[in-house]
Amino acid sequence: MNIILVLIPLSVVLLGVAVCAFFWGVNHAQFDDLDTPALMPLSDESPHSSGRGTHE
Amino acid sequence: MADTHCFHCGEPIPSGVELRADVGGKAHAVCCIGCRAAAEWIAALGLDDYYRLRTAPAARAAVVEDFRAWDRAELQQLYVRKRADGDAETCLLVDGLRCAACCWLIERALRGLAGLRDIAVNAAAKRLYLVWKPDEIALSDILARIAHLGYEPRPLDAASLDAVARRESRTALKRLVVAGLGMMQSMMYAVALYAGAFEGMPPATRDFFRWLGLLATTPVVIYAGAPLFAGAWRELRARTPGMDTPVALAIALVYAASIVETVRGGAQVYFDSASMFVFLLLGARYIEMRGRHCAADMTDALARAQPAVAARRTADGALETVGVHELAPGDVVSVAAGGAIPGDGTLVAGFCEVDESLLTGESAPQRRRAGETLFAGSVARTGPIELRIARIGADTVLSSIARLVGRAQRQRPRWAELGDRVAARFVAGVLALTLATALGWWWFDPTRAFPAALAVLVVSCPCAFALSVPAALTRAMAVLAQRGVLVLKPDALEKLAHVRRIVFDKTGTLTARRIELVDIEPLGALDAASCLRIAASLEAANTHPLAAAIRAAAPDGSAPAQELVSVAGAGVSGRIDGHEYRLGRPGFALGEHAHPPLADGRVVLAGGGAALAAFRFREALRADAEAAVDELRAAGAELEILSGDAPAAVGQLARRLGIEHFHAALSPAGKLARLGAMRSGGALVAMVGDGINDAPVLAGADLAVALGDGADLAQASADIVLASGRLLALAEARTLARTTLAILRQNLAWAFAYNFLSIPAAAFGLIPPWLAAIGMSASSLFVVLNSLRIGLPRTPLATPPEIHREIAAT
Repeated sequence: MNIILVLIPLSVVLLGVAVCAFFWGVNHAQFDDLDTPALMPLSDESPHSSGRGTHE
Repeated sequence: MADTHCFHCGEPIPSGVELRADVGGKAHAVCCIGCRAAAEWIAALGLDDYYRLRTAPAARAAVVEDFRAWDRAELQQLYVRKRADGDAETCLLVDGLRCAACCWLIERALRGLAGLRDIAVNAAAKRLYLVWKPDEIALSDILARIAHLGYEPRPLDAASLDAVARRESRTALKRLVVAGLGMMQSMMYAVALYAGAFEGMPPATRDFFRWLGLLATTPVVIYAGAPLFAGAWRELRARTPGMDTPVALAIALVYAASIVETVRGGAQVYFDSASMFVFLLLGARYIEMRGRHCAADMTDALARAQPAVAARRTADGALETVGVHELAPGDVVSVAAGGAIPGDGTLVAGFCEVDESLLTGESAPQRRRAGETLFAGSVARTGPIELRIARIGADTVLSSIARLVGRAQRQRPRWAELGDRVAARFVAGVLALTLATALGWWWFDPTRAFPAALAVLVVSCPCAFALSVPAALTRAMAVLAQRGVLVLKPDALEKLAHVRRIVFDKTGTLTARRIELVDIEPLGALDAASCLRIAASLEAANTHPLAAAIRAAAPDGSAPAQELVSVAGAGVSGRIDGHEYRLGRPGFALGEHAHPPLADGRVVLAGGGAALAAFRFREALRADAEAAVDELRAAGAELEILSGDAPAAVGQLARRLGIEHFHAALSPAGKLARLGAMRSGGALVAMVGDGINDAPVLAGADLAVALGDGADLAQASADIVLASGRLLALAEARTLARTTLAILRQNLAWAFAYNFLSIPAAAFGLIPPWLAAIGMSASSLFVVLNSLRIGLPRTPLATPPEIHREIAAT
């Protein structure tokens, strides 16, 4: 059972990391709009978007 | 899409328009130059995927306006914020942004502009957030590029960048996630402790898990629960105990008791209960807040109606483009035909026609003479006109209405307040009971006093009570908002469920803001078809609604007309193949020879002084009017039409829709009196209207419903707005409101029954605290899951795409 003395503090540390990561995400506008980005990945790799280079 | 509808915007193509846009190697029919430019430009950028990805047709592309005024320092002061690193940022409201594909399109088209640093598009709020380097690219260039795509960008004032709403939503999300993660951890430790209690666990291990529980719960209570404690503190200072006080007290007590038990190695800790309580409460509040912000975004749309720039006449007679906020009362501004009036003011000279449909819901253009008042937000039909400004900005009629709407949205539902009051009283009673339990057991068996008192406190945790109303309401409002029904006033949902009689205004409500040609009566040598062709040629460039109706009815291939002269309010004259024709009011078309029988509102086509044909028009029905009326009648509602129009027109419409009761030629006072008579019968009466002129009448009904597609401003006195402009949504909403009410009653009954049974049992020491904690969670979970049933089964929207297109076209 002594293994929990290692695993549980480890899980607490990971939890802290997760919360920090989430706060960073919220502060950098990652969660402001939950509707729009849903469509973005669908179109990114589309074979038809041949003009991706044209707006440079 | 068929060739009869524009490839870009989906609106019907006016006859006589032969425009093609080359997209993806194929020629597609489009309705106007703006749409062609937009479609071809989109294709040239390689972004024609947009047409595959989009879920709603685009807005009709306007001919691109001049955005250079936005580069003026006076305007930028208000609308643009300079950042410390020299970049500029602003927030735009983008009209015509309809779906995620639009966002994709804008983002793709703008990315790669030199000098543009950052861009974020939000489809739900129709917002575009921009950061750019002012010395590399001008704001007007960015705006022009967006306008080229067919959207209408409109900068929002810089204050909206500081978005209180955004900060509020971010903080709430952080607190919610901290509460959620903390709750999961403390629950896992609690499971270990429960298992240990049954299977045996060395005290050292048990204490280790208890300290871990304390570690996981402390941020939940201190950080995530902060708003609850702050609310309780506010309530205590104001001496008006509300919902927060008992809730905060309960959390603090459970938390403190658990710490005491941890330190002294007592029987039981309740960190899991405390953190779950915080999480569920924050969850309900988060949903409520999202709904509120969504409604606020819709209200901001009112701001669109007021233009941001105006053409001011300077002392030497020249025109200069200035920001509307720079205008002062007494300034003279010029408004081009089709332009929006920048402020309330009086017409300087001559006369004009204005479209006040935004304010009044009246679709027909209104004639105004010199000296008469024009209102901000209305659109000049003829022009250019000159206007002497009397009131601008916050003083205009438009702004005061927008304020009213904002105020209405800040009120809380009566149900929620009732729920809060009941829960507050309930919690006060529970706290007294807890104290009584503790004292009773103290006297009887001191070792059991603490666990029993805690069991009472935990088992009766007011979650189920506190959640039953907001959970059902927020769910119902979210489902309704998805279907285009915005509930603006708190009690509207309850009234909607009970309403028996529904009264419709006619113009703009049952009918669309569009006029259609009924028949053509040939009066001369030419047949109806040739007359129609001639009329369509004469009206080819006219923006009047009657002209649009004639064009829509006419076949393609009309001969071009020369020497077109349009006389506002009278008609149009022109020359085709050498013959002179006049089309318009009988007095205008026939001059002195007007026959009395023709003076009935018909439009006459005359050639060489003789009448050729008379055109009769009627208002086109709203696309889903018939379906909505049928549905509502099938659901047992009594329908009636109240209209200010002539009895003949109203009667004809009522027969078309199969509505038996109608009252015509009523003044607003007459409509009010009729509504009063109906209400005195004891029935709840709903009124469906769409304009500000309906406002007093709407206010006189028990439930006011406004249509959101034309007259945003009718929202001022509306309880419910059908934002999509679909009348059918009203029938759906009524069914949903009834379901909501039923589920709300189930929730309250459940919360009451649960507490009624469990509290006495806990007080007598029959429920161990761990079972109390499970019971409390289960009762809250039941309420939340039951509320999620609202809106199920998920019926598909009863609106095929054709109807959407019809609406877009009106």
